[in-house]
Amino acid sequence: MTAFLRRIARTRHGPIGLAILLVLLVVAICARWIAPYDPKAQVGTSLLPPSSAHLMGTDNIGRDLFSLVLVGTRASLAIGISSAFAALLIGGTVGVLAGYFRGVAEAALMRLTELFQILPVIVVVLFAIALFGANFWLLIGAVALAIWPLEARVIYGQFVQLREREFVAAAIVADLPTSHIILREILPNALPPVIVQVALDASLAILIESGLGFLGLSDANTVSWGQLLFTAQDFLDSAWWMSVFPGAAICLAVVGFNMLADGLNEVVNPRAVRGAVGLPA
Amino acid sequence: MARFVVLRLLQAIPMMVVVVLLVFTMLQLTPGDPVQAIVGQFPVPPDFRAAIEQHYHLNDPLWMRLMQYFLNLLHGDLGYSFQSQQPVIELILQRAPRTLLLAGAAFVIGVPIGIGIGLLCATTRNRHVDRFWTTTALVGYAVPGFWLGQLLVILFAMRLGWFPTQGMAPLISRAHGAGWLLERVRYLALPAITYAVYEATRVARLMRASVADTLGQGFIVTARAKGLSRAKIIRRHVLRNSSLPVVTVMGYAFGVAMGGAVLIETVFSWPGIGLLLIEAIRVRDNQTVVGVVLFISLAVILMNLLVDMLYGLLDPRIRAAR
Repeated sequence: MTAFLRRIARTRHGPIGLAILLVLLVVAICARWIAPYDPKAQVGTSLLPPSSAHLMGTDNIGRDLFSLVLVGTRASLAIGISSAFAALLIGGTVGVLAGYFRGVAEAALMRLTELFQILPVIVVVLFAIALFGANFWLLIGAVALAIWPLEARVIYGQFVQLREREFVAAAIVADLPTSHIILREILPNALPPVIVQVALDASLAILIESGLGFLGLSDANTVSWGQLLFTAQDFLDSAWWMSVFPGAAICLAVVGFNMLADGLNEVVNPRAVRGAVGLPA
Repeated sequence: MARFVVLRLLQAIPMMVVVVLLVFTMLQLTPGDPVQAIVGQFPVPPDFRAAIEQHYHLNDPLWMRLMQYFLNLLHGDLGYSFQSQQPVIELILQRAPRTLLLAGAAFVIGVPIGIGIGLLCATTRNRHVDRFWTTTALVGYAVPGFWLGQLLVILFAMRLGWFPTQGMAPLISRAHGAGWLLERVRYLALPAITYAVYEATRVARLMRASVADTLGQGFIVTARAKGLSRAKIIRRHVLRNSSLPVVTVMGYAFGVAMGGAVLIETVFSWPGIGLLLIEAIRVRDNQTVVGVVLFISLAVILMNLLVDMLYGLLDPRIRAAR
């Protein structure tokens, strides 16, 4: 693990991404203690511009925006990371089944994956939310529903390739149980590009969640960055800070995950960094 | 070619059927009472309920309603929006051109810029140029479109007053001719730019990777060995070969774009398909929601078909294979 982290630290974007995410994680965990005010309480006049008392100003009902943004980290990160892993679980299962067993399972499952890829992500999520309403878990489910095909395709591709390799043939000849072959032989070898995809998925999930929040469709009981931007939309003229700071927080998190993914990619796939031949001067 | 197109269109039909089935089943799972939804927040008299259920065949078995829905679809009937008292198809046809305008403008601005940046990054001899633009594209990709929209509104519409804050046209317009066009362009500018930035960053990342890939191919070695100049290699060999993945992704993206950029249309109150969808969702106008989802799926399928046809034009090998 330490060796792996050290390799990420030597990449171009990896260390920055890692640092950003670490800071955000600490903020998410300790938000209650770092926040200068109770994020749900009215602590000042409404729509105060940023000052030393309120670093990011106050919102339309006099809550401290800095505290709200800090607390919002929790929901955004939690939904981002959980959705990415939920997508890994769904997409992983589909990809493994289709890639290992081939035949009918492959045709059916990959058609299903294609179908989900044809439907635009945001529409799938909006549709699910519209039908079932939004609470924390449904939100994770909906976002995962939208991004699992990406995961399924990556894992499927890996399995189709690895399945034909000698070590798998050897395992089959040795009469090892199928579950062993899938989980212990192929899966560890298939993981590298999957890890990169998970990081990308997390950033995508955060973007989707913030979009839902912005449309006023996220869980109303949890503060999230997107939700703060939803309120900001009505006060663009009088309170720019209500839009600027939560949006910047979203960017930071998404950049963090993307840079981490870049770093991971460089570590697991070092050849792809630059073209080999190049052009004449 | 004609045979190919017809074949692909036929393949699209089962896809659409599955989409309808999926959407229809999901609707069955929704909580809520359709009769109550029509009436609003009032108690429903029993005989009124019976009349409505009779009239809209609400108590028919699922398969019968499904059959009816398919039959209606064949007639181009997507249902009726109780909310706006209009057939859904009319609503969609009214909104679609506006979405097309916005998406078209965004792609026309964004895609060439993205291709340019990607090409520059992958072929430049100056590492700093590459680093600067890759990082810019990375950050640009992370900026949520709707937030960028808000920022542009704050800066260019509210502070500087150069552009209107939202909408597609003024409530009352006396302008005509060139003045009218200019007025429309002013309304279009901010949403189109916001959208274009988003597309440009995506294209730039894709193009850079694709060009880097092309540069590793054998025919580049051949081209160099022939003594072709840098510019010639880029123009003749790199550009064309690298544009295939960009065409695929952009074609798909344009299909999706027909569904309206829900978020960007919301920021700017641009009355397109996306805004229609979100409005329908807010008031639980399910017929409209299903209609729009179907429309979007159809648009994506058609765009993918168009991409396949473009492929043949760009890559003779694929044409020959058919």
